[in-house]
Amino acid sequence: MLLAVLFFNLEGNILVERFHGVPAEERLHWRTFLVKLGSDNLKGAKNEELFVASHKSVYIVYSVLGDVCIYVVGKDEYDELALAEVIFVITSCVKDVCGKPPTERLFLDKYGKICLCLDEIVWKGILENTDKDRIRRLIRLKPPADI
Amino acid sequence: MAQPFVKKDDDRDDEAEYSPFIGIEKGAVLQEARVFHDPQLDPRRCSQVITKLLYLLNQGETFTKVEATEVFFAVTKLFQSRDIGLRRMVYLMIKELSPSADEVIIVTSSLMKDMNSKTDMYRANAIRVLCRITDGTLLTQIERYLKQAIVDKNPVVASAALVSGIHLLQTNPEIVKRWSNEVQEAVQSRAALVQFHALALLHQIRQNDRLAVSKLVTSLTRGSVRSPLAQCLLIRYTSQVIRESGLNTQTGDRPFYDYLEGCLRHKAEMVIFEAARAITELSGVTSRELTPAITVLQLFLSSSKPVLRFAAIRTLNKVAMTHPMAVTNCNIDMESLISDQNRSIATLAITTLLKTGNESSVDRLMKQITNFMSDIADEFKIVVVEAIRSLCLKFPLKYRTLINFLSNILREEGGFEYKKAIVDSIVILIRDIPDAKESGLFHLCEFIEDCEFTYLSTQILHFLGNEGPKTSDPSKYIRYIYNRVILENATVRASAVSTLAKFGAMVDSLKPRIFVLLRRCLFDSDDEVRDRATLYLNTLGGGDGSINGNKEVKDFLFGSLDVPLVNLEMSLKNYEPSEEPFDIDSVPREVKSQPLAEKKAPGKKPTGLGAPPSGPTSTIDAYEKMLSSIPEFSSFGKLFKSSAPVELTEAETEYAVNVVKHIYDGHVVFQYNCTNTIPEQLLENVTVIVDASEAEEFSEVTSKPLRSLPYDSPGQTFVAFEKPVGVPAIGKFSNMLKFIVKEVDPSTGEAEEDGVEDEYQLEDLDVVAADYMLKVGVSNFRNTWESMGPDCERVDEYGLGVRESLAEAVGAVIDILGMQPCEGTEVVPSNSRSHTCLLSGVFIGNVKVLVRLSFGIDGPKQVAMKLAVRSEDQTVSDAIHEIIASG
Repeated sequence: MLLAVLFFNLEGNILVERFHGVPAEERLHWRTFLVKLGSDNLKGAKNEELFVASHKSVYIVYSVLGDVCIYVVGKDEYDELALAEVIFVITSCVKDVCGKPPTERLFLDKYGKICLCLDEIVWKGILENTDKDRIRRLIRLKPPADI
Repeated sequence: MAQPFVKKDDDRDDEAEYSPFIGIEKGAVLQEARVFHDPQLDPRRCSQVITKLLYLLNQGETFTKVEATEVFFAVTKLFQSRDIGLRRMVYLMIKELSPSADEVIIVTSSLMKDMNSKTDMYRANAIRVLCRITDGTLLTQIERYLKQAIVDKNPVVASAALVSGIHLLQTNPEIVKRWSNEVQEAVQSRAALVQFHALALLHQIRQNDRLAVSKLVTSLTRGSVRSPLAQCLLIRYTSQVIRESGLNTQTGDRPFYDYLEGCLRHKAEMVIFEAARAITELSGVTSRELTPAITVLQLFLSSSKPVLRFAAIRTLNKVAMTHPMAVTNCNIDMESLISDQNRSIATLAITTLLKTGNESSVDRLMKQITNFMSDIADEFKIVVVEAIRSLCLKFPLKYRTLINFLSNILREEGGFEYKKAIVDSIVILIRDIPDAKESGLFHLCEFIEDCEFTYLSTQILHFLGNEGPKTSDPSKYIRYIYNRVILENATVRASAVSTLAKFGAMVDSLKPRIFVLLRRCLFDSDDEVRDRATLYLNTLGGGDGSINGNKEVKDFLFGSLDVPLVNLEMSLKNYEPSEEPFDIDSVPREVKSQPLAEKKAPGKKPTGLGAPPSGPTSTIDAYEKMLSSIPEFSSFGKLFKSSAPVELTEAETEYAVNVVKHIYDGHVVFQYNCTNTIPEQLLENVTVIVDASEAEEFSEVTSKPLRSLPYDSPGQTFVAFEKPVGVPAIGKFSNMLKFIVKEVDPSTGEAEEDGVEDEYQLEDLDVVAADYMLKVGVSNFRNTWESMGPDCERVDEYGLGVRESLAEAVGAVIDILGMQPCEGTEVVPSNSRSHTCLLSGVFIGNVKVLVRLSFGIDGPKQVAMKLAVRSEDQTVSDAIHEIIASG
């Protein structure tokens, strides 16, 4: 299960949070934990450099893209390698939508499109699409180019 | 002068700080949502409002029921627009709002229309939305379309239906299971993602049918699976089949091993890694099987991608727990990871090295770790501390270096959890390595001189009170304890008073001086401290009161409370202050819930690191307390050993039962821990009917039923057997769970009056020789062996026949005897032809036993073993030989 996808700005404020199967009362812990994880490790990180952590049976892969920090959290079949795949799709789509690694402003300007991309990538905790070109078409309700 | 018009440019830095959502407010956005009702819809404006709503929801904002309904109805109006971008937003918005069952009806017809649309993308999205908001009745109406969609030629439509199926399987399994044929067809799809989703769904549909899963795996491992993600799933399912099928008895080969090994050469790293991990997790994996997997993991260790390094080191860390020798080849690569930027990777590297290192490398490793400790977070430090504790138990001769290391880090900065982990480790080492006692206690004393945590100070004082008086020079600890009375807060002072009293009770020569100190405490500012001092002075005979018997005093000071703490707390809370004093005998002794089994908590928050595991003796203490509180068992004497829980049911069955074997000198008690996993049932009068016809020396004496077993609230029932005193009798017991089942109304939670008697077959249980042996290590095997002397020694030789490997033979003998391997001798270097293994333990009747096993293996893998046993009792030495001869 892909438990969560979160976007923060560099100050640790939430831009997007999508949880799947995480009880509401545990979400605050997640936010705090991930912000702390980021502030401990992401300083000076290069764009799209991957970071990884685990706690008991839960894995976290995170990265920085422009002025936005991205976190994906998973367990069971979504281990660190699967999450690396997920975050790769997410970063490619965000770059695609924004045209470059986004500033916070640019990210918010493209907010609607980014939400649609996320909707195509993860659906209720399951990875659904992995190809950015296909996703770009899907959010415009266009069929994939290869059929 | 008017400013020139500036074209809106996303890249302009001066605009970067203005968020398009600045000052966004829920009420205002809900007002804006009224544009959805406009007769002339403005798609652009509507999309902007939806984006704002999404922003609010994604920030964790919630809508009240009324607000959500209002927005939902408004959004449904947008189906009138033909704007494609807006339609896509509408789909997302409806999913986010997840309307209630009575509202869904509004949108169903629009979605059904889209689901049959000629536009593929409408179909795919409508399926996803419908499946998100649908209930069982609607699902039967659209089932036909979903089945078609699964085999749709457009992969997006097929994936939408398949992923919907995965979700719906949780709520409507009987419907989704009917789609097997279509899903089976989709597994053969040429589209990679469709195959991945179809495989996941098909496996979930068939997961309880072993044969079907096995067939699925057999066919797919031969064919071509396109997507790496699907390949990973297949590897997982394959390992599951391997686990359930065991070795091929004729050839000794493991089924599907070749497939797993083949995946190690796949082009996708994800698949290579999954296969390597699957191989390392095979039960009873041999070094020949492990080698190729370890080789690829070793390559990953020096990958430039942190995720791969992390995955590899995490897997090697696990392998090192069971096969440390197999990982030693990677030691050099792992040492370079100690300086890895990613602290998770560095910590895993350190803890793996601690497991794979040999006795001679301990000092060098500790030097490296010392530098490393200063720049990692507490949570990582705790992991390292725990690894060092295990290392010290493995190489007891190295205790000096390791305890020194622990005491050094104890003095440095750190939070409570970290300090507690260190203190717990030192306490465990003192308990298990007698030679480490004096220096360990001394380090703890130093620590409490400057300890900011009340909890830890009191814990150490309590421990010091129990262990300190038994050392060669108890007087040297008094200074540290009395300093607490002068310098600390009331809680610690009270604790220090109790500790002083324990020294007074145990060491006669110190008694007069202790009295002087205790009398000073009579003037303390705190009631509790004064009360304790008065109490102890009187009990020990230092006051004017009567002098009690020595044994009574010690029982009072060192004995346990005899009642479960939870019950005591409850009774004290219920006690109304009155003339009548609180009576401890009124506290119920029955343990209500199951205090010993750990409750699983999947998906728990990662921040809480939880309490570190308590010392190894605490479980048996808790068992002993619980059993002695049950009158039927109180006459059985002292509990010798309690086994780890043995599962008697498979995972995910209606009733989960495991059993703990409690061994007494002349009795055995089976504690059946039962959990009812069906919310609609209440079980009453739960017992286990045990058939002991294959356990001749045992006769049932009593059985204690469990009155009531509600859903998901574990309870225990017991059955006790008598057996010949001091004899390690063995046997097989078959078990049948018997109970009265009552239906429960899920809406009210009330059970029906009448129940039906029912039975449930459990798996058999064996009492084996190892149950009569306590795993107790010795710090220096050679010294203990020599001091035991050859008086009760017995030596004999045995042929073990053809074995898979030397390591497997050594492991099997250790398991049969159930003894503690000493000095890391349970690990057999690969390719060695002979091996000596040292074991120690305490046999029933509290007889110390030492065993020296010498193994040899020849070309055709015939294993011979020489068994030398020394103990304090000849009959016990003979009994150990008897166990091997009959095993």
